[in-house]
Amino acid sequence: MLKDKRVIAILIAPSLAAFIFAVLAPIVLSFVYSFTNSSGIGRFTFVGFENYSALAKDRAFWNALLNSALLAAGFVLIQHPIAILTAWLLDRVGGRLETFFKTAYFIPNIISSAVIAILWKYIYNTNFGLFNVIARFFGGEGVNWLGTGVAIWSVLVVLVWHGFGWGMLIYYTGIKNIDPVLYEAAAIDGCDDKKMFFAITLPLMRPVIQVNVTLALISALKQMETVYLLTKGGPGNETQFVATYLYKQAFQSGNYGYGNTISVVFVVICLLTTAFLNRLFRERGI
Amino acid sequence: MTDKMKTRFPLGRGIILAVLLLFSVIQLFPLVWLIDFSLASNTEFFTSKLLIMPKEIQWGNYPRAFIDGHFLLYLKNSLLVNTLAVVVVLVLSICSAYAVTRMRWKFSQAAKSVILLGMMIPIHATLIPNYMIYDFLGVRDTLWSLLLPYVAFSLPQGLFLAASYMESVSKEIEEAAIIDGCGTFRLLGSIITPMMKSSLITVMIMTYLNNWNEFMMASTYLSTSKWKTLPFSILEFTGQYRANVAVQFAVMTLTAAPAIIIYIILSKHITKGVAMGAVKG
Amino acid sequence: MKKILVSLLAAVMVFGATACSPSGQQTSGGKTVIKVFSNLPDRTTGQGLVEQKIFDQYMAENQDIDIQVEALDDEAYKIKMKAYASGTNLPDLISVWGQPSFLDGYIDAGLIAELDPNDYDGYGFVEGSLAGFSKNGKLYGLPRNTDMIAFYYNQKLFGDNNWSVPATYDELLALAPKIAAAGISPVAMDGNDKWPISIFITDLLVKIAGTSYQAETLKAISSGDFSHPMYAEAARLLQDAFDAGLFQPGFEQQDYGTAQNLFINGQAAMFYMGSWEMSMANNQEIQPEVRDNIRAFTMPVVSGGAGVATDIAAWNGGGHSVVAKSPVKDKAVALLNYIYKPENWTKIAWENNVCMSAQDFSQYKTGSETPVQLQLIDIFSQATSISGTTINDLGSSDFKTKFEDLSQQISIKSITPEDAISALAN
Repeated sequence: MLKDKRVIAILIAPSLAAFIFAVLAPIVLSFVYSFTNSSGIGRFTFVGFENYSALAKDRAFWNALLNSALLAAGFVLIQHPIAILTAWLLDRVGGRLETFFKTAYFIPNIISSAVIAILWKYIYNTNFGLFNVIARFFGGEGVNWLGTGVAIWSVLVVLVWHGFGWGMLIYYTGIKNIDPVLYEAAAIDGCDDKKMFFAITLPLMRPVIQVNVTLALISALKQMETVYLLTKGGPGNETQFVATYLYKQAFQSGNYGYGNTISVVFVVICLLTTAFLNRLFRERGI
Repeated sequence: MTDKMKTRFPLGRGIILAVLLLFSVIQLFPLVWLIDFSLASNTEFFTSKLLIMPKEIQWGNYPRAFIDGHFLLYLKNSLLVNTLAVVVVLVLSICSAYAVTRMRWKFSQAAKSVILLGMMIPIHATLIPNYMIYDFLGVRDTLWSLLLPYVAFSLPQGLFLAASYMESVSKEIEEAAIIDGCGTFRLLGSIITPMMKSSLITVMIMTYLNNWNEFMMASTYLSTSKWKTLPFSILEFTGQYRANVAVQFAVMTLTAAPAIIIYIILSKHITKGVAMGAVKG
Repeated sequence: MKKILVSLLAAVMVFGATACSPSGQQTSGGKTVIKVFSNLPDRTTGQGLVEQKIFDQYMAENQDIDIQVEALDDEAYKIKMKAYASGTNLPDLISVWGQPSFLDGYIDAGLIAELDPNDYDGYGFVEGSLAGFSKNGKLYGLPRNTDMIAFYYNQKLFGDNNWSVPATYDELLALAPKIAAAGISPVAMDGNDKWPISIFITDLLVKIAGTSYQAETLKAISSGDFSHPMYAEAARLLQDAFDAGLFQPGFEQQDYGTAQNLFINGQAAMFYMGSWEMSMANNQEIQPEVRDNIRAFTMPVVSGGAGVATDIAAWNGGGHSVVAKSPVKDKAVALLNYIYKPENWTKIAWENNVCMSAQDFSQYKTGSETPVQLQLIDIFSQATSISGTTINDLGSSDFKTKFEDLSQQISIKSITPEDAISALAN
């Protein structure tokens, strides 16, 4: 029965069709366009690997990749440890407070990134923004939070903050699924909380962590709307991420062919990253 | 979890609560801020303060946002397209996850990887190619032109979560059911789906969140207001009320409200699902 | 659960069926539909209001026509236009910018209908205003307005503090610290969108090079050689402005709305923006003590520059074109011609204090013009030369993004004028 070809076809065909129609077909088109000098409008000619060799030398592109890597590091090294700890603490609060906190942490995820970007734009505003108001209150100087050199860090703060609730919620669900009997047994054996966290919670959470980290890395690579609305990738191309840079090249600079080259390379990078992660997790036996 | 457990806390309950409370203030701030400013006048907005006490509460911002933002029409469209997307994603996630984790066929892993690829594809790369395809098929400016990409781009995550769940639980119950002569579709509908309820709720929320605030595709594929979704209100307002930020905030609050209300309702279900999972261990 | 799913899926099918009814049809209720794609999303004030008024009037006069408007903000508009251009179902009448950076691609792709210049003999278009809408001697569109860049300032604020309108660029820079000392920003600048900074550079180029600005710049863009000293000079003057603190702190990341709001809420003494913002003077959203005191001046002269005070940066940007393959092309052209009849766009725009049209509007003066409107029209009518298209829009769209990025970097001194010029060269 588990080998029934007809059943398999019925189960998988619609998903595959959706994939082919909305994902594969445009990517194939992108691949074709990546070898052209198309501006997105009208006629174009094939230019071979010209776009690809231009991309290899494009510093703005490599900087965008570096920014994505920074963001991924921010997610994995800052956001996730805090999220796991918070989920663990939250699990022990109990009652209505637990529900309240859980709900509250997740709220930013529900609000449109357009609103989030506007909010932080005002918080970072040099003239009347929250941070500088506080800084001046304590007699300090205002900082140009979205200015050159500082902007990328300010952007990272927003993104780490914004995604926090989502990571927390998945960890929280994972922790809730751990059998309390295990903790009770450990308590009887005289384990303290710290030991329990490292000996029971963390190891049992491994699959959840794997899922969460993979999702976080992908979202770090794909980051677009918030950054675009917050800084437009500027000043210069300092806070450009791959998706924002692709968008800029394809739609603003009129380099549609080149933009597609970026998206092809981008897709390949995403695939390699995921493959690498899977391998890493498998080798470590997570 | 017993009370005994809760008292065994290294830091003390008070400190823990204080930390959690601080976090919740940080996370809740945008919402408070949004509502606060939506009731202020534009001039008050540009003062150097954290929050403002409006001299006179500007309820008038809301009717303007409600009417000029075509709130009801766009809300109806948003609800329709998102509900359809969620339902289709759920059904397809369950079916395809079962097919790739349980069914035995040569290309099961390949099929899974292929669909998961969708997760890695930046939607912005597909805007114009997809536009060309929809235009060619004549579905541009229809419900389909939103539903198709919304489903296609949420399905990988759905499959990912559903498959992870299926891989993590034992097959014993299912095997017993199969031995009892239960068909695949009945098995999916009456045994597996209820079992993975909490995972499915996650899929549901994720799909919903992915698409509820989406406006890049919506603004590219739609032309007439017939199917326009809520984010259009914000989009149209930033042009229309450039000189009045407070009204823009009213429209942002209005568009955020349905999502937050739905979230709070769903949030209870999550707790319930999680609690049920915990009891059954 | 199953029942719910089945019924929902059935609902999908039903919606699918209705959704699949032909969407490209050209008639509705026996009327011919003209689809208009506009970059003026605000249909209740400013230019959008004027456009909508004319459409309503046209539909009232022509009962067989139904005009359907889709409107998006500039940036979203430009992207959607690219999407439209990639398909077959284009709108019939579209907003365009009469600048190579926007229009050339569409003209080259054969998407824009050629117009007959003889149709517009009596329309009173200002000399040279059709140039940006023409290519190889053929006319492809009509300009809506004459745009001019200006420093809007709050007259009362200036008077109360004994600040005077600067006559030279040095005076402007000298004014900056005085204004800052009063606790407000001198000039509100939209640096995030970058094009206002590029216009600022154009403004300086005009004052440095005078009437040779456009010819030299076209040469420089086609050769990639920006070694003419005026470019480095303009970059240096822009950096002087940064040193003097002329713009609000953090201006490079503040958008149009933020900059404008700083000005209209009294947090900045001036606002650097185009003449289309003259409608601020009767925008009811703005508090009266600011609204009634808005005045304007143009870029003051720079020392040693060839440009005099009356050589100004002005151009014809926005306008309309008809799509070549439109199934109702003739009707769309008729609508276009109707919009630009002097008694329509020119008169209505002027009467509503919205903008200066690109046509002769002297006969439509009402006596109820706002002071800033009169000031701007005076400046324009006394101009000894006008610049034409701004530097960022004179090249391809690739040049545009590159130039605008660099102008933002120059303005915050994150690149030297020399490096910026060599970056433009390749």
